[in-house]
Amino acid sequence: MNILLAVFLGGLFGYALYTVGAAKRSNIRSMLRLENLELMKIILFAIGFASSLLALTTWMGLFELKHLSIKEMHAGVLLGGLIFGVGFGALGGCPGTVLAALPYTNKIKTLAMIFGGLFGAWAFSLSYGWWQEQGLFAAWNLGKLTLFQLSEAYPAVFVWGPEGLLFLGALLMLTAWLIPKQFI
Amino acid sequence: MKNNTWIKKSLLLGLVFFLAIFLVKPVGVSTQFSMLSGLVHSKIDSQIIQEDSQREGIYTSTNAYYAKSKGKLIKSMQEPLNYSFVFVLAIPLGAYLAHYRRRQEMDSLNSQLKPAATTGQLFRSGFIGGFIILYGSRMAGGCTSGHMMSGIMQGSVSGLIFAAAVFATAIPTAFLMKRIYRGGTE
Repeated sequence: MNILLAVFLGGLFGYALYTVGAAKRSNIRSMLRLENLELMKIILFAIGFASSLLALTTWMGLFELKHLSIKEMHAGVLLGGLIFGVGFGALGGCPGTVLAALPYTNKIKTLAMIFGGLFGAWAFSLSYGWWQEQGLFAAWNLGKLTLFQLSEAYPAVFVWGPEGLLFLGALLMLTAWLIPKQFI
Repeated sequence: MKNNTWIKKSLLLGLVFFLAIFLVKPVGVSTQFSMLSGLVHSKIDSQIIQEDSQREGIYTSTNAYYAKSKGKLIKSMQEPLNYSFVFVLAIPLGAYLAHYRRRQEMDSLNSQLKPAATTGQLFRSGFIGGFIILYGSRMAGGCTSGHMMSGIMQGSVSGLIFAAAVFATAIPTAFLMKRIYRGGTE
């Protein structure tokens, strides 16, 4: 059952990434150069929409809170994000979109990115112990901190629960709506 | 009426994020790159993973990353056909389905996108870029899917910090690459 769901949801994710144009690297690059912000609007609105649905279903008691998964905040999130951004900005792909980019003609580059990614992930596994000794994951460690109190499992910044998340979702959707398609 | 196809696309993408977390767990990809590379590693060097002498059924490793979180990653390596890995394998299937549905339109677009670089150049730039992307996302504990989309959707602080850090380097790099390559390498 779980495997069928994995095929269904993973397939749907790939279908959506391709359909919205996120799998095309030139789209991401022109978004990052602020030339065409349509993809930015789509992604921001999608996150806001998903947040709102999550908030509403939590409110109604339909959502199983154990499905939440908040990632830990530490200095590695910041440093890793900065490193990630260099590759993301240069190529216009990320681990998910590169897999959805396989149907496009430039398969050599796509496969090279996947292959390079496997080596990059492996290199990180090998260097993890060293980074840990440097204290990267202990520095600025706020634990699995979230903005709103959805579940007792995670510490929250604000006292609001699903209503806060609904507000965030609405704010993201509004921002997405207001962003112009062309900026410069 | 204004052209609002972007809204329809947003709703589709947003619905997928929601369905994933509602039915199973949030969307995530980059961990599977660690899992698969670790699986290959463990096949080449069988000593790297061993059963914990203190606790039966619990596996550990001399590698601190594999041993992390009570050997959670090792567990996935031993059962690679688990939900998270199959989810990632299914992504290209869905993308191909979308591709064949819109093939004619895409073929005309693709023909305009013939790469100007040689195979070697394409492979090298792709490999280096992919390496940096996955090294960074494993350090951060997630990628655009896990941190940015799934994270922000749940109101996670780490997701917001990750997004800010990514754009801080991605935007200048994208501008710089255009200057160097006059529009990129493809």
